[in-house]
Amino acid sequence: MEDLTNAVANIEEETVLNLVKQKLDANVDPYEILEALRKGMAEVGNQSGEGNYFLTDLIMAGEIFSEAMEILMPKLTKPGGEGKGKIVIGTVKGDIHNIGKDIAITFMKAEGYDVVDLGVDVPAQKFIDAINENNPQVVGMSGLLTLSIEPMKEAIDAIKSANLRDKVKVIIGGERTDQSVCEHVGADAWVNDAVEGVKIIKGWIG
Amino acid sequence: MDNSEELIKAKIERLDTAAAGKQPDRVPIAIATTFFPAKYAGVSYSDVWNDNNKYIEVGTKFARDFNWDGLSLHRSFESVPLGLALAGYDADLAIGVAVSSVLGGGASHDILADVYSSNPGRELGDNVESQWVIDTPVMNADEYEDLIAKPFDFLMSKVIPRAYKNLSDLNSPTAVGALLKMGQEVAKFPAFLMDFVGKMKQEAWLPWYYALAPNPLDFIGAFFRDFDTLSLDLYRKPEEVKKACETLAPVLAAVGKLTGTISRDVTGSRRVFCPIWYNTYLSPDKFREFHFPHIKFIVNELIEAGFTPLMSLQGRSDHLLEILGELPERKVILWFDKTDLSKAQEVLGDKYCLAGGVPSSLLIQGTPDQVTRHMEDTLNKFKPGGGFIVSTEFNGMGDAKVENVKAMTETVMRLGQY
Repeated sequence: MEDLTNAVANIEEETVLNLVKQKLDANVDPYEILEALRKGMAEVGNQSGEGNYFLTDLIMAGEIFSEAMEILMPKLTKPGGEGKGKIVIGTVKGDIHNIGKDIAITFMKAEGYDVVDLGVDVPAQKFIDAINENNPQVVGMSGLLTLSIEPMKEAIDAIKSANLRDKVKVIIGGERTDQSVCEHVGADAWVNDAVEGVKIIKGWIG
Repeated sequence: MDNSEELIKAKIERLDTAAAGKQPDRVPIAIATTFFPAKYAGVSYSDVWNDNNKYIEVGTKFARDFNWDGLSLHRSFESVPLGLALAGYDADLAIGVAVSSVLGGGASHDILADVYSSNPGRELGDNVESQWVIDTPVMNADEYEDLIAKPFDFLMSKVIPRAYKNLSDLNSPTAVGALLKMGQEVAKFPAFLMDFVGKMKQEAWLPWYYALAPNPLDFIGAFFRDFDTLSLDLYRKPEEVKKACETLAPVLAAVGKLTGTISRDVTGSRRVFCPIWYNTYLSPDKFREFHFPHIKFIVNELIEAGFTPLMSLQGRSDHLLEILGELPERKVILWFDKTDLSKAQEVLGDKYCLAGGVPSSLLIQGTPDQVTRHMEDTLNKFKPGGGFIVSTEFNGMGDAKVENVKAMTETVMRLGQY
């Protein structure tokens, strides 16, 4: 399985897809293949943390993972979701950028989390409804622009008012976030980097 | 202001001296912000975007009250691909069409119905900043060869109909009507330009930039493909991407020189804005392979023609500082957003003018005391020896608190003297 993990880690699209098909043809347990893909994605994450991969590389790695999952999915017969944890995520009200959020979702899924994607331009009430409906451990709020900062604060304030703040950890992500933004909006953590965000979430819920 | 001409001359001298890496009479302060001046003047974002009289009202009030050494209040970029498609037909017309949105505001968005931007008072609320998101790329992955072979024909026949809903069928009355309306808009533009510049100059205004030279990779990502699909192209079609960049580079350098000439003649500023966007998201190897060669080509062309490239290195460039050190020394301004400026000074400081130093988040959430302290530290660190311009993150301070922006300005005027 190391060959597959390495091909994912090296972002080699053709090799990854060929290996997945070959292994399925050879009746390899699809869950072992899935595990190898995840290990490869974790390595991509590590390389990003070490400054070897950047967002353009992560987008390609995410694309390869999604393509491989498409081939693999029909063979994965056990019920979905492994109880690793649930995350609700959206780009906050007023901001229609999706790139940061989507790459975060790819890496969250590769890590084995269930992700509820609320899309972009998400008003506070939609976060609250999604928390009530899905009981996530973590809420992720994304925003590229400085104008996203106040909507993040409004959403977190609304979660507090709905008495849900103690039930979830809140992580914010985006180019303009930093420690002062994190404190201002009342989040538990902030990141400029999607992979780093997944690591923080892992620290919270395993 | 009575002595506005002298003040402008002093500002030109101050910025040019800093750009050459030398010590002017005071650390200059130069910023690009479209929406903060509107907030300051109590005018809605929608009005400053869509109403040229309000735009002039906001600009003149802001220039008068803050008196920065450089101030840019650009608006949008929607008409740029249409301008580019006309570049092989008539260069002056092409520039007129392109800048009609950059300097002229929201009219071209209304006329052309582009797929690029969502604007205040249109798709967005009256006080929400404009945003640029391509829903579906207007060029497909298998069309690089067409772009390379006949760029202007390809743009006009394929990209333009997809990028502008009102030009989707170029033979339709809607499309012909939209183009005629664009013609009317472009014809009005010189009078507006002279009106705006004339009134702004009375307030001793000098632009931080009033000319634009995009680079090919960012241009393809912002106008033809989109961020994600171009990221995939770098892996799947590297040679095609490189060839397309090589094809576009001379055209974009020409755009920089033509707009630079207008800027020089009309405002006195020789700076040409070179926005750089993918840098944050590329490894050093990929930056060197796909991005930097074309940036360097355009920079060299601009310098040779007597302009100063104002390189807006958006996001973070901490991992690229050594490569940036291959740019011509003392000829460019390196304007950083979130890059660690101390590290940039360590690697590049004695050879280049650095601009930056004020995080948007501080201006938005901080207090005037915090801003003053931050500015004191920043000036202590970066002022000695010259070659430093105080600036903020590119177009990132729309939501700033007025008292913080005043504290920033006041501290530079008080402690920036050499």
